[in-house]
Amino acid sequence: MNRGFERHRSIIDFSISSLIRRKGKNLSLLAVYTLVVFVIASTIFFVQALKREAALLLGESPDIVVQRLVAGRHDLIPIGYVEKIAAIRGVSDVKPRLWGYYYDAAVGANYTVMAADSDPPPAGGVRLGNGVASTRRLSDGDVLTMRGADGTPALFTVEKVLPEASELVAADLVMMTAEDFRTLFAFPDGRATDLVLSVSNPRETTTVAAKIVRLFPDTRPILKSEILRTYDSVFDWRGGMLVVILSVALLSFIIFAWDKATGLSAEERKEIGILKSIGWETADVLMLKFWEGTVISLSAFLVGTILAYLHVFFFSASLFEQALKGWAVLYPRFRLIPVIDPYQLAVLFFLTVVPYAVATIIPSWRAATVDPDAVMRS
Amino acid sequence: MRNSGIFFFFILACLSILAVLAMHARHARAGASAVLAANVGLVKTLGLTDLCLFTEARYTRHPSMADLHSPFQDHPFAMDHFPSGSLVTPPRLLQRAP
Amino acid sequence: MTVIELVNVTKTFNAGRTNQFKAVQEVSLSVTPGRVTVLKGPSGSGKTTLLALIGCMARPTSGRILLRGVGKPLFPGAEDNAELEISSLPERFLTAIRRSAFGFIFQQFNLVRGVTVLENVMLPAYPTGEKRGTVRRRAQGLLEMFGISRHASSRVDLLSGGETQRVAIARALINDPRVLIADEPTAHLDTGLSRDFMEIMGSFKAEGKTILIASHDPLVYDSTLVDRVVEMRDGRIIYGGDES
Repeated sequence: MNRGFERHRSIIDFSISSLIRRKGKNLSLLAVYTLVVFVIASTIFFVQALKREAALLLGESPDIVVQRLVAGRHDLIPIGYVEKIAAIRGVSDVKPRLWGYYYDAAVGANYTVMAADSDPPPAGGVRLGNGVASTRRLSDGDVLTMRGADGTPALFTVEKVLPEASELVAADLVMMTAEDFRTLFAFPDGRATDLVLSVSNPRETTTVAAKIVRLFPDTRPILKSEILRTYDSVFDWRGGMLVVILSVALLSFIIFAWDKATGLSAEERKEIGILKSIGWETADVLMLKFWEGTVISLSAFLVGTILAYLHVFFFSASLFEQALKGWAVLYPRFRLIPVIDPYQLAVLFFLTVVPYAVATIIPSWRAATVDPDAVMRS
Repeated sequence: MRNSGIFFFFILACLSILAVLAMHARHARAGASAVLAANVGLVKTLGLTDLCLFTEARYTRHPSMADLHSPFQDHPFAMDHFPSGSLVTPPRLLQRAP
Repeated sequence: MTVIELVNVTKTFNAGRTNQFKAVQEVSLSVTPGRVTVLKGPSGSGKTTLLALIGCMARPTSGRILLRGVGKPLFPGAEDNAELEISSLPERFLTAIRRSAFGFIFQQFNLVRGVTVLENVMLPAYPTGEKRGTVRRRAQGLLEMFGISRHASSRVDLLSGGETQRVAIARALINDPRVLIADEPTAHLDTGLSRDFMEIMGSFKAEGKTILIASHDPLVYDSTLVDRVVEMRDGRIIYGGDES
């Protein structure tokens, strides 16, 4: 047992000294490898954390949101619908929602303006999301100028700025009273943007939704389950988009590594011949090659994963900003709650470490099975 | 120190760091409950339906509220329903800098 | 005592192909233990191949090679005198025997470039799983014996011809073999270093090791240390074999 362990250690010693002998090539391989693992692991961490937060936060979204469609387009919903809908069995609460979008030409950013009815700010005051406040450089007490629907400027005093930790849900929010909202947008009386419902028995949501459509055929109810499903696919897509890019990167890396590995240089072949001639078996040589590959891939995997965790959870995945921000001016600062999914990391491990080990052993097979006396004959 | 010794030490150090990070994750999750509760409060009082991730357009800001004819509704990767999306450029109006 | 016996050994390369070539043809030889034997002959006479066959580096195409006195490390219960027919042993055993019983000094030295002298000397011991500290001390002792311990941490390609050969000899001895095999050892050495080499071989003979040298250098085969000269030509022994 001891002998076996000592043999492994000696072979690992030699494999590391062999790697150091070709320092340049192996350092660049390690760097590229670590980078690939870093990007993939960052994506995994990022998407997992977002998914989890989406599930936790949006799990508290309204049970049903009722929109109205006119000529196939989203239109304002009459508040008169509330009474009839509230009467449906199973519906415990119906509220109209006033919200909309505001494009701030000064900075080129889009805001979501919402009328807050429970706990509204004072009249003429607004509560700003942290993203809005930092984009417009506003703090408590400052004045926000918005352009009303009739073109005249409307002034609002900033009552409070929401904390940075709320950016994931409220970065672009501008909250005001319902009156101010209606005035600003010249919103027609008796209308709302949509209605939100609470259903007492979650299993009845589909039935309730069906009843609503029967009552008001021009409505489109959106269920909470559909909201959550949207986010599942959003993250798979966004993550998927990155993963597609990364698969290409990984694939090209594998090709690069394979190309390096299959072309076993004449020098490496000679070395193997020498080892065989001084008493190394084929198995010893293969183990040497295996460890040469594994030292690099294992190090790259561990360092890449550690850096990815730090990147996503300590530096808010700042490197992804360019890919995800798109044309948006406002982009939330991600203070994500760390989540480590061991299953996905295990998959990443098998996708990165194993192929590289294989890519190093298989080309060496031929050279390793050379006759020990071959080095004497050449 | 032997090469293999250094390597084992390095691997052990990395694994320890990972263990520390895992503990950090658990600790952070526990400590984040206050923030989570505050955000959940916002979601509940305002009846929010979407995370504020992509603010470029209405259908990216509120993908779950978007109407059925805007992009991303079938599947987000399906950028456009129709090939014309790749052929027709955005209107001049939008191409002007703000 | 290690006894090596070859019975009607033939080695054919590229068998069945157009460039088929018989390097060794029906050679029967009993190597005298504890003595210096020189294989003499022009290049192409099959000396190198014969050395490879004796040193368990290649298998004969036909014939048998028997070894006695090498079994102990492999089969702990066996008698040291057990006769092994190495031609039929699997690679693992062959390699194990070679590692423990034979030390090879190649014509081209065949040291690993870019690796230090000390590590080169220790290399043959790595697969045996012996404790590294023990191996290291033995290697350092060998370097001292040959007066090159000051080069222990230098890269082997930076040494002179004579120093390199001494590293090669040290490497051949790391596993304390009973048989030393040298293939054209003086090919790259001047007279002085060649004489040094023969002296070193003499000291090993005094320790009881069996020494086999292939050479066409008169300095080697005319040396007083040599006990037996076997002449080869075209893969056959033409003089000095068992019959004479």
